[in-house]
Amino acid sequence: MKLSDCHNFEDFRKLAKKKLPSPIFHYIDGGSDDEITLNRNTSSFNNYDLIPSVLNDVSNVDMSTTVLGEKIDFPLFPAATAMHRLYHHKGERASARATEKMGTIFGTSTMGTVSIEEIAKVNKGPKLFQLYIHKDRGLTDNLIERCKKAGFSSMCLTVDTVVAGNRERDRRTGFTTPPKLTLGSLLSFILHPGWTINNLTHEKFKLANIIHITQKGTSIDKSVIDYINEQFDPAMNWKDAEYCVKKWNGPFALKGVMSVEDAKKAVDIGCTAIMISNHGGRQLDGSRAPFDQLAEIVDAVGDKIEVILDGGIRRGTHVLKALCLGAKACSFGKGYLFALAAGGQKGVEKILENMKTEINRDMKLMGCKNISELNSSKIVFRKS
Amino acid sequence: MNLKDCHNFYDFRKLAKKKLPAPIFHYIDGAADDEITYRRNTSAFNEVDLVPNVLKGVEHVDLSTTIFGKKLNLPFYCAPTALQRLFHYDGERAVGKAAKKYNTMFGVSALSTVSVEEISSIIDTPKMFQFYFHKDRGLNDAVLERVKAAKFDVMALTVDTITGGNRERDLRTGFTSPPKLTLSSLFSFAVKPMWGINYLTKGKFELPHLQDYVGEGTSTAVSIGNYFSTMLDQSMNWSDAEKLCSKWGGHFALKGIMSVEDAKRAVDIGCTGIMVSNHGGRQLDGSRAPFDQLAEIVDAVGDKIDVICEGGIQRGTHILKALSMGAKACSGGRLYLYALAAAGQDGVERALNQYRSEIERGMKLMGCTKISDLNRNNLRFRKK
Ligand SMILES: Cc1cc2nc3c(=O)[nH]c(=O)nc-3n(C[C@H](O)[C@H](O)[C@H](O)COP(=O)(O)O)c2cc1C
Ligand SMILES: Cc1cc2nc3c(=O)[nH]c(=O)nc-3n(C[C@H](O)[C@H](O)[C@H](O)COP(=O)(O)O)c2cc1C
Repeated sequence: MKLSDCHNFEDFRKLAKKKLPSPIFHYIDGGSDDEITLNRNTSSFNNYDLIPSVLNDVSNVDMSTTVLGEKIDFPLFPAATAMHRLYHHKGERASARATEKMGTIFGTSTMGTVSIEEIAKVNKGPKLFQLYIHKDRGLTDNLIERCKKAGFSSMCLTVDTVVAGNRERDRRTGFTTPPKLTLGSLLSFILHPGWTINNLTHEKFKLANIIHITQKGTSIDKSVIDYINEQFDPAMNWKDAEYCVKKWNGPFALKGVMSVEDAKKAVDIGCTAIMISNHGGRQLDGSRAPFDQLAEIVDAVGDKIEVILDGGIRRGTHVLKALCLGAKACSFGKGYLFALAAGGQKGVEKILENMKTEINRDMKLMGCKNISELNSSKIVFRKS
Repeated sequence: MNLKDCHNFYDFRKLAKKKLPAPIFHYIDGAADDEITYRRNTSAFNEVDLVPNVLKGVEHVDLSTTIFGKKLNLPFYCAPTALQRLFHYDGERAVGKAAKKYNTMFGVSALSTVSVEEISSIIDTPKMFQFYFHKDRGLNDAVLERVKAAKFDVMALTVDTITGGNRERDLRTGFTSPPKLTLSSLFSFAVKPMWGINYLTKGKFELPHLQDYVGEGTSTAVSIGNYFSTMLDQSMNWSDAEKLCSKWGGHFALKGIMSVEDAKRAVDIGCTGIMVSNHGGRQLDGSRAPFDQLAEIVDAVGDKIDVICEGGIQRGTHILKALSMGAKACSGGRLYLYALAAAGQDGVERALNQYRSEIERGMKLMGCTKISDLNRNNLRFRKK
């Protein structure tokens, strides 16, 4: 199986599974507890059907939209995710370059393995930095200032990770960062020599954005769960979020808002956007899927704040459905991460290209010439 | 596989299966008829989703709740279950000590294999005695007096076992109490030698609350279905329950209430609590799951009486959902029984701690710092 055989999410996932040592594959692929929320994130789209309108002259379709202060070529972008260097030896450089080329926003995580400054060098397009608030509050100011200097276009604060989710696959595989060879995982690393050789012969794994503050993420073997629980600040509250909004003083999103009440508060503290998200089903299992909760939130705040749907997106039609219910744009994580593992920069380009093509085709089939024509009259709930 | 590999309900179940002779495992694991109600008890939780709130400052979380006038450190407790020394040679001693360690209620069955006197000499934390209403009124009075003298805090009358449920697995395995060697079960006992050795060497198996009245309970092997059908009084009615309640004169609950009408009558006869329960699916198959029925009952009597949601709980988030719906606390049997079989007191402690940490993590991710923060606003039913 090669990159050229990858036509959809499941293909990229399959190829990634072949290329990655299993602890790393399962770190991406897994969710919390029984993975009920993880699965629901995608299956929720199937309770709604699209209704096309025909004979609309769709020879030219404009997929562009404006979100977080930037015009992007199509309404989907890669969500910020941790530690790309684990999935491919070029790390965030590969995904950042691919995203620039495809004309959408690149999200990068506090837990990135390529620094803010370097990402700004390889990607001149719109860039979103994802902030985690650590107990060490000096780090927050430091990160915000560096992003400003580096010319990032927007910032989001992740609010659904005050403690780590119960990711049981990681417990079983013994996933740590950087990867530690245990007897159980050794075999898997040996069976994936390509990944292992690249990992050993390229630059050392580091959490590039926070390396100067904490040595914890660098050479000490830590599980991500331990890192989050030791370093992230569970006391984080609305005042802290407001502080970040003011300090950043540019397009700002809260990532992980799920209730109407919180969406309204996000408006009050001056956010530009909220990302409706449950962290890809990796945090609170049994919590609601973003798409299930979308209409309620759009009804309450859709005219005051940009609503971005994050989680479960596997297909162009999923993006269309979210837009019909009032989302401004969507973001996805696992999709492009599997592509990164499968083929580095080329892989990420390919999945973004695929998604763009699907959205384009689907808009034509829906009889829509631009994003604003996707609205609630084009979607119905199917009673089961 | 051993105890330290147990990270969730299913792991404990797996280990219990390895340790127990098959007839005993299936006595715990099985339920009535086609086990539809049994499965629904758990899957009912999956049709409602949690909606978290964020940025609440959640470094300290208080999991305590008060039921029957007793403050418990956990919002769930060990439901009374029979014959625990069959599952592990320490039986009720192990469960009681583990419950004490986490300061939660210990439910002791009428078919307990350790006496109420001994239990109250080893644990000073809240205790509930589960009462079966026998045909022999002398036996009923004697049990009541002993439980009173042993200073139990709560009496719960089980009302859903007026006759034995159709537990087909027990019919197939030939489960009796105490275990009788049949040709087909012999093999299973022979391949689990540790269980057999412990069973034979760690003290005689007895039913101390019944032994003065029935030969059957002690040395003659009798099936549980048989016990229900021959010894319990099928003429038991509301006036019997009322008399028992006033004779007891303390906190009194009916265990196995499923209809609003009965819940209201429980209030009328002076109960201070009810367990919404179908006996873990072991009695009437096709009957409603406790969680499905909870809202209706809470709406009717939740302000007058402690409503406990019992059955099907396998995750901390199941408990969060029941509490959000309005239950005062939850209880369960299998959630600690597999752990008991797997490793005695250590196993039960590990299981209780596992659920404790799942609840605590879930509360933090929900943005809740105390049990009373959970309410129906944080729940959404999936559209149908
Ligand atoms: C491997 C992996 C790492 C992630 N790391 C982060 C992170 O560091 N910060 C963050 O806010 N979200 C992180 N996320 C969540 C994503 O930003 C996004 O919310 C999620 O992947 C969306 O769901 P999807 O994977 O179904 O598209 C991560 C997700 C994955 C799969
Ligand atoms: C092995 C076993 C024995 C039980 N024995 C009793 C009992 O003696 N008296 C009683 O009232 N309930 C008994 N129950 C029912 C429990 O109290 C409780 O209602 C049930 O286990 C809840 O379902 P769960 O196992 O899914 O948590 C028993 C349950 C099991 C699994």
